[in-house]
Amino acid sequence: MNFKKVFTIYKKELLDLMRDRRTVITAVVVPLIMYPLMMIGVSSLMMRQEKKLDDQIATICVIDNVQDKNSAKIIQQLENFDKFQLMPYVAGSGNLIEDNIVKAIITISDSINTSNYQIIKALISYNAADEKSEKVYRQLKNKLDTVEQILVSERLQKIQIDTDILNAVEIIQENIAPPEQMFGLLVSKMLPYMLILLMISGGAVVASDLIAGEKERKTLETILVSAAHRNELVFGKYLTVITISLITVCLNLVSLYFSLHHLLSQVGMDMVGIQLPIGNFALILLLMLPLATLFSAILISISTYSRNIKEAQSLQMPLMFASMMAAMISMFPAIELNLGMALIPVVNFALLFKEIIMGNFQLNYFLIVLGSTLLLDVIAIYFSVKLFNNESILFRTTEEKSLKFWGKNKKNIFNPQFIMLFFIAISLALFYLGGKWQAADLPEGLIRTQLFIILLPTIFVLRISKSDIKKVLRFNPTNPLNFGVVLLLSIPVMIIVGTISQLINIIFPFPESYLEMMKNLVQMNGVSTWKLLFIIAVLPGVCEEIMFRGFIINAFTKKGFWYAIIVTGVLFGIMHLDPFRLIPVTILGIWMGYLLLKTNTILIPIFAHFINNALAILLGKYGESIPIINKLIVEQEFSWWLIIPAILAFVWLLKIFDKINKNNTLSEVA
Amino acid sequence: MIEVKNLTKIFNQKDSTLYAVDNLSFTANKGEIVVLLGVNGAGKTTTMRMLSTVLKPNSGSATVEGFDINLNPQRVRVNLGFLSGDTGLYARLTAREVITYFGELYDVSKPKIKERINEMADLLDMHDFLDKKVDLLSTGMKQKVSIARSIVHDPPVMIFDEPTAGLDILTAKNIVDFIHQCKNEGKCVLFSTHIMREAERIADKIVMIHEGKILAEGTLTEMREKSNLQDLDDIFIHFVNNSKVEANDEF
Repeated sequence: MNFKKVFTIYKKELLDLMRDRRTVITAVVVPLIMYPLMMIGVSSLMMRQEKKLDDQIATICVIDNVQDKNSAKIIQQLENFDKFQLMPYVAGSGNLIEDNIVKAIITISDSINTSNYQIIKALISYNAADEKSEKVYRQLKNKLDTVEQILVSERLQKIQIDTDILNAVEIIQENIAPPEQMFGLLVSKMLPYMLILLMISGGAVVASDLIAGEKERKTLETILVSAAHRNELVFGKYLTVITISLITVCLNLVSLYFSLHHLLSQVGMDMVGIQLPIGNFALILLLMLPLATLFSAILISISTYSRNIKEAQSLQMPLMFASMMAAMISMFPAIELNLGMALIPVVNFALLFKEIIMGNFQLNYFLIVLGSTLLLDVIAIYFSVKLFNNESILFRTTEEKSLKFWGKNKKNIFNPQFIMLFFIAISLALFYLGGKWQAADLPEGLIRTQLFIILLPTIFVLRISKSDIKKVLRFNPTNPLNFGVVLLLSIPVMIIVGTISQLINIIFPFPESYLEMMKNLVQMNGVSTWKLLFIIAVLPGVCEEIMFRGFIINAFTKKGFWYAIIVTGVLFGIMHLDPFRLIPVTILGIWMGYLLLKTNTILIPIFAHFINNALAILLGKYGESIPIINKLIVEQEFSWWLIIPAILAFVWLLKIFDKINKNNTLSEVA
Repeated sequence: MIEVKNLTKIFNQKDSTLYAVDNLSFTANKGEIVVLLGVNGAGKTTTMRMLSTVLKPNSGSATVEGFDINLNPQRVRVNLGFLSGDTGLYARLTAREVITYFGELYDVSKPKIKERINEMADLLDMHDFLDKKVDLLSTGMKQKVSIARSIVHDPPVMIFDEPTAGLDILTAKNIVDFIHQCKNEGKCVLFSTHIMREAERIADKIVMIHEGKILAEGTLTEMREKSNLQDLDDIFIHFVNNSKVEANDEF
C-alpha cells in the first residue's frame, strides 16, 4: 500500500466534504451555533419563567376550624406575606385546586397531646404537579415553621425556660468535594453519552456519503479504474471518517464548554474556582481515537454494502440506537467498570470516560478497555477492507431483501423468512404464555409449554404445508453404535459446556437468585425423579429437537453444513430467553445440529438432548451423595483441570463417531 | 494492445447462474479501433469492467500491454484509460482539481500534471471552465473533463464503454473526434456500442457479441462478404439467427 496515495485520497475527500453544505452544517455549524443559542435561549427563558412564577400572587384558601388566638397568628402570618392572597372557604364550591382557582388549601384543626398541650394541625392540600402550587406549599411550610417557633418560645417563657435550651445540636454543612469534582459528577453523567453520540452522528453523515454516495453519483467506477489500489481507497476514506468524527467531537466539546460557562454565570454560579480537568479531557480525546476507528470501520462497511445514501442511512439506524443505549449506561448511578463491563464495546468507554472525568480510573481496566477495543478495531477494519474488495457487495444491485419477498414462496415453508417469523412467534408465546403457565405451576407449566408451544405449532405448520413429516423430520434408522458413542460423548460435552458456563460466571457473575432458581428447576421439590426426568429430559428432548433439528434447520441447509448448524444453534440459544445461558445453550444447539447432519436422523439428537438434561437432573439430585462426583463437580471449588481429559476424550470419541457416519449422505428436504 | 483469452464471468442470481461473459477471446492491436458490438445485456460492459480490473473473471484471462489482469491489476490500470457513461465526476471539485486528483493517483508528477492539463485544455478547448466546479458545467463540458481525466496519464490503451449513450450530436462528436485522435497517436482503442451506425463509421475491426459469446469477428468488409449482406443491422441479425440454429443443432 502506498501511503502517499492514501494521503492524496484523504486530502481530496476532506476538500470534497468541506464543500458539501450538509457536512459543514452537521459537523461545524450546528455545534458552533446551536449550543450557544440553545443554552442562552434556554437559560434566559428559564430565568424569565422563574421570575414570573415568583412575581405571581397566589390565592390560597384557609379553613380555620380552631378560631383561637393561635390560629389567628397563623392567618396573620399568611396575610402579611405579600405573595399570598387569602380567600375564605365557601362550602360546596367544588375542588378549588383542581379548577385552578386556588394554589393551596390550608385546613387548621387542633387536638391535645398527652401532656395537655394544644397541637395545631395544618393540613396543606396542594398540587405537586403544578410548579406554582409546589412553590406555595414550600412557602406555606416556611410560614408555619415561623409560627411554630413563636408559639414554642411563648410556651417556654410561660414556664420560665430560656429558649436557648432548644439549641442542642447545630449542623454545619461543609462539602469537602473539590469544586471540579462537583462539576465532574454533573459532567461525568452526561458527557460520555454525548461524546459517543456526537462522534457516531458526525461520522455517519460522512461515511454514507463517501462510498454509498459515490455509487449514487456514479463516481465509484471512475475511482476504481484509476491506478489507486482498493485498500488505498478504503484507508483514505476511512481516515476521512475518523477525522470528521473527531472534529465533530472537538468542536462540540469546545462549544459546549463555553455555552455551559455562559449558562452557569447567568444563573449566578461562577466558574471561578471550578477548573475543568484539562489533562483528563486530553486523555479522553486521545481515547476517542480507538472508539472512533471502530465506529468508522463499521460505518464504512455499511456504506460499502449500501447501494445509495438512503439505504446507508437506514442501515446506520440500528447501530445508532444500539450505541445510544450502550452509552446511556454512564448516566446510571452505581454502575462501575468491572471485568465484564470492560469487555462490552461502547459500554466500557462510557464507564471509563465517566471514571476518568471523576479522576479515579483503574489502570488495569483502562488497559482491558483499550486492548479489547483495539482488537475489535483490527477485526472491523479487516472486515471493511474485505467488503470493499468483494465485487458482489460493491456492485450489489438485486433487490434481495425487499418486503415483496415475504409474500413469495408461499408453498415452500423452508425459507429463512418464514422460519424467522415462526421463530419470533414461538419466542413471544414462550415469553408471555409459557412464563405465565410456569409461574402458576412449574411442572404442569413446563409440560404444557413443551407440548402446546413447541411441539404442536411445529407439527401444525408441517401438516398445513402438506410436507412429508417423516422425511422432513428425518425419522431415519441409524447404526445402533451411534447411541453408545453419543452416550459416551455426553460426558465430555457436559464438562466442556460446564467449564464454559463457569468462565462466563467469572466474567458476568450469575446473581444468587438465579442460581437458586436453576437449582430449583433440576431438583423441583415434591416431584418424583421419574416425573422430573420426563418433564426436564424426555419432553424437551423430543419437542425441542423436533422444532429445531427437525424443522428449523431445513431452512438453512442449502447455505452449507456449518451455516445451518450454527444459525440453528444460535436460534436455539436465543429461544431459551436467558442471557446467562445463551452461550452454553447455543453450543449445545450447535452440537445437536452436528449430530443431526452427520447421522441424518433426528433420533440421535433427541437421544443426546435427553442424556444431557437427564445428567443435569441426576447430578443435581444425587451428585452430592456420590463421593467422587461430589468431589469433582458439586463442591464449591470447580475443578478446572477436568477440561483437559474432557477435550481429549471428546476428540477421540468424535473421530469414532465420524468414522461410523462417514458414509451417510444428507437427504435434501426442501 | 489488448489480448483476451477465454474470458468468463458468471453472476449468481437468485435461482440460476448467468454466464454474462462466456469464453470470450479477441485481440485489439496498437493503432486499431476495435468495436464491441452487441445489444443491451450482451456482456460488453462486463467484459470492459474485467479488462479495467473492476471485476474479476471466474476463468480465463486477458492482458493489457502485456500485463495480466489477474496477476498485475495495478499495472493494467496504469496503462489504461477508461471512459464510460457511468464514470461520473466529483461535482464539488473544479475541473482542474478533478484532473489533478486523478493525475496524482496515476503517479504522474505535479509539474507533469500541470503540463498535461495545459495541453489537454488547448486540445479540447476547455480553458474557460478549468476552474469552475464540475457541478456548474454543461454536459458537453463535463464530457471534455471526463476525457481529460481518462488520459491524464497518457495511457497506451483506451477503453470506451458506450461513451456516446445519451449525448447529443455535438457532444458525441467530441468523443468520436477524440477516438480518431487516439488512433492517430498509435493508441489501442476498444469501443463498445449497441448502435450499428456508430460501429460502421469508426471500426477497424468489429467483434459482435451476444449473450456473452462471440458471434463474429472481423472488418466490416469481411463481414459483408461472409453474410452476403450490406447493412450492418441485417448482418447482425443474420449472425444472431445463425447462432440459434447452431445451438439447436447441438441438441
